[in-house]
Amino acid sequence: MRFDNTKCECGHQNAIGTVLCEACGKPQHEEPALDEVLEMRYDGVARKSQKANPSIIDRIWNFFSSVKVAVYLIVITLIGSMFGTIYPQESQFINIDASLYYKQSYGTMGHIYYLLGLSHTYESWWFITLLVMIGASLVICSLDRVLPLYRALHKQKVRKHGQFITRQRIVYQGDIQDSPNTWLDGMSKSLKKRGYKIVRDEDALLAEKNRFSRWGPYINHIGLIIFLLAVLARSIPGWHMEYYDAFPQGQPKEIPGTPFYLQNDHFTVEYYGEEDMPEQFVKEGRVIAKLFETKATLYRCVDKCDELAAEPVLEEVMKHDIRVNEPLEYEGLMVYQFDFDLTPRLVAVKPVLENPQTGEVYGQFELKINRTETHYEVGPYTLELTHKFMDFGLDENGKPTTKSQDPNAPAFIFMIKGPGLPNEGEPYMYFPLQKDKVKFQQDVINGEIANKFDLHVQSMNDVTLSESTSYLNVRKDTAMPFIWIGAAISMIGLIMGFYWQHRRIWLRLDGQQLALGAHTNKNWYGLRNEVARALQAVDIEVDAKSIDRGGSKA
Amino acid sequence: MGKRNKTTQIIILVVILVLGGFAVSSAFKKPEAPKEGSTIPDLPLQQLNGSVVKLGDYKGKALVLNFWGSWCEPCEREMPTLQKGSDEWKAKNVEIVGINYGEDPLVVQNYMKKVNVHFTMLLDQKKKVTEAFGIRPLPTTFFVKPDGKVHAIHIGELTQSQLDKYLQEITGQ
Repeated sequence: MRFDNTKCECGHQNAIGTVLCEACGKPQHEEPALDEVLEMRYDGVARKSQKANPSIIDRIWNFFSSVKVAVYLIVITLIGSMFGTIYPQESQFINIDASLYYKQSYGTMGHIYYLLGLSHTYESWWFITLLVMIGASLVICSLDRVLPLYRALHKQKVRKHGQFITRQRIVYQGDIQDSPNTWLDGMSKSLKKRGYKIVRDEDALLAEKNRFSRWGPYINHIGLIIFLLAVLARSIPGWHMEYYDAFPQGQPKEIPGTPFYLQNDHFTVEYYGEEDMPEQFVKEGRVIAKLFETKATLYRCVDKCDELAAEPVLEEVMKHDIRVNEPLEYEGLMVYQFDFDLTPRLVAVKPVLENPQTGEVYGQFELKINRTETHYEVGPYTLELTHKFMDFGLDENGKPTTKSQDPNAPAFIFMIKGPGLPNEGEPYMYFPLQKDKVKFQQDVINGEIANKFDLHVQSMNDVTLSESTSYLNVRKDTAMPFIWIGAAISMIGLIMGFYWQHRRIWLRLDGQQLALGAHTNKNWYGLRNEVARALQAVDIEVDAKSIDRGGSKA
Repeated sequence: MGKRNKTTQIIILVVILVLGGFAVSSAFKKPEAPKEGSTIPDLPLQQLNGSVVKLGDYKGKALVLNFWGSWCEPCEREMPTLQKGSDEWKAKNVEIVGINYGEDPLVVQNYMKKVNVHFTMLLDQKKKVTEAFGIRPLPTTFFVKPDGKVHAIHIGELTQSQLDKYLQEITGQ
């Protein structure tokens, strides 16, 4: 066990690790060069972490209280985040199987990248651990320094030890002509004019200004801590969401984890015409988009939201035209334009049932391609849907089948019942798309019944198409306001430290002999001029340069 | 350094540990699709008659979940195999369940007639279960032990011998 006598000759009991006596400022450890500029960091007080016989908790505390450790942590985190930029991150894709994607796109290197978990660098346990450690370091580094510093600046002794004054960087020593009191009055007045707060103790004087700037770094740290906490809070369920999805026109789509549904009402893409573009671009045959716009409606589900088959009951919340940089915003939910696909898809048709011989129209009904109803009443007839094919085709046995789940060639078989038809009804096959009607020979398939009935749409008004699919990026970030608050506080802290300096001038008179020392945390040039001018006002002519002893210690 | 300081230190370190632990642990519990060894989610599905079953209702039975679509040829080829497996293993506490990918009940009923199967079929019209299971190619078949843990995931068509082997494994028979 090390034993240090930490009592100063002025009688003050200092903590272990104290550089300058907390009371009189006398250097506590004799240094080789006696007139060297003093180490004034944290005013020479001991940091909280400096103590003899540290326990385990002290050791953890000491680890995080080290600025060196903080710098290493930041550097490691920076390097770590660089890894995340080598290949695209998993979260940027709509629908990929990451275990295959990286291998297929980037070869072996890509596969290694995936296996190392770098395809989701910023969500990985080690990256978050680093962030948490930086956070711990911020909190502990700050507390370790700010509390002792606060105490030291709060109860400053005016009368300082001679060595403390003469070993400052800016020093003036000389004799005064007036009586000490008159001289001190003059000097006080001169310093007050320059914005200093003056405290006097008999023949000693302390002038100080802009002490608040010392708290800048700590306020900056508080901001950063709020910032970090907000980033970490994103892992609270419901706080953060980001995904990309396809929104076919006219079909509300659920936004998972929220009561909201979003519908793409209409998507527009406009290109610049040849006359709008520079000649060079026209020559190169470039196509440049002028506008991407999704007219969108946001709905809130009010009923049947969790039912498996029933359509949810939706209530309109808002409408917005989503353009690039003009997202839809609602209660922290943001929807951005991302991509589009102009392939039209059939959504519904309203065919009429007609007698092809007489032209008599029996009635009209709506036939939805997805989640189709099975029973229709059309005039005197009933139509029972018995088969539905989304992408009609024939299998190797010649049997009707569907080739995919997409409505590329929808086909329906109805059992028509009613006047003049057998009780069990007669089957009728219907292709809503004209191309399929011809290709699969609807009339030939239907045979005899084609003479009695014809299902067809009368005009394009009776066809509902999804003209396009808009790909949108849906984001929710509840933590965002806290991130801004943190950033703002941090900026305030930085400004406090950038534009103001904590300046202090100590002086003491021993009889007619004056000793003056001055300290600032930066802008020594400004301080030495200020001191020289203040002295000038009490008739002491000094060259500003001559009172600055130089040195690197702030 | 007083006792109060020590308490403050401990409180600060504990708060950092708790917050940090929460943040780091969030990196591990992503809602991921069930893998081999994980427990299947207890999700509701619709039966052809409109009533709802939950996957948890099958707990205590060895469960085979076959995800399929009517357009998918290998699905169609393996359907008779699944029906045979269902007939042979039903008495041995095995439930074979087909889960259709988002099609209409009518389509599913017609399909069952066409391929001549009658084992339990469930509908996933909103495709939520298929998504929760992370299904990509069809058919994909999950073999689940009576305790609800996934034993194996088979992607692609199943042969009779493969099915029997899996069933032996999950029933321990």
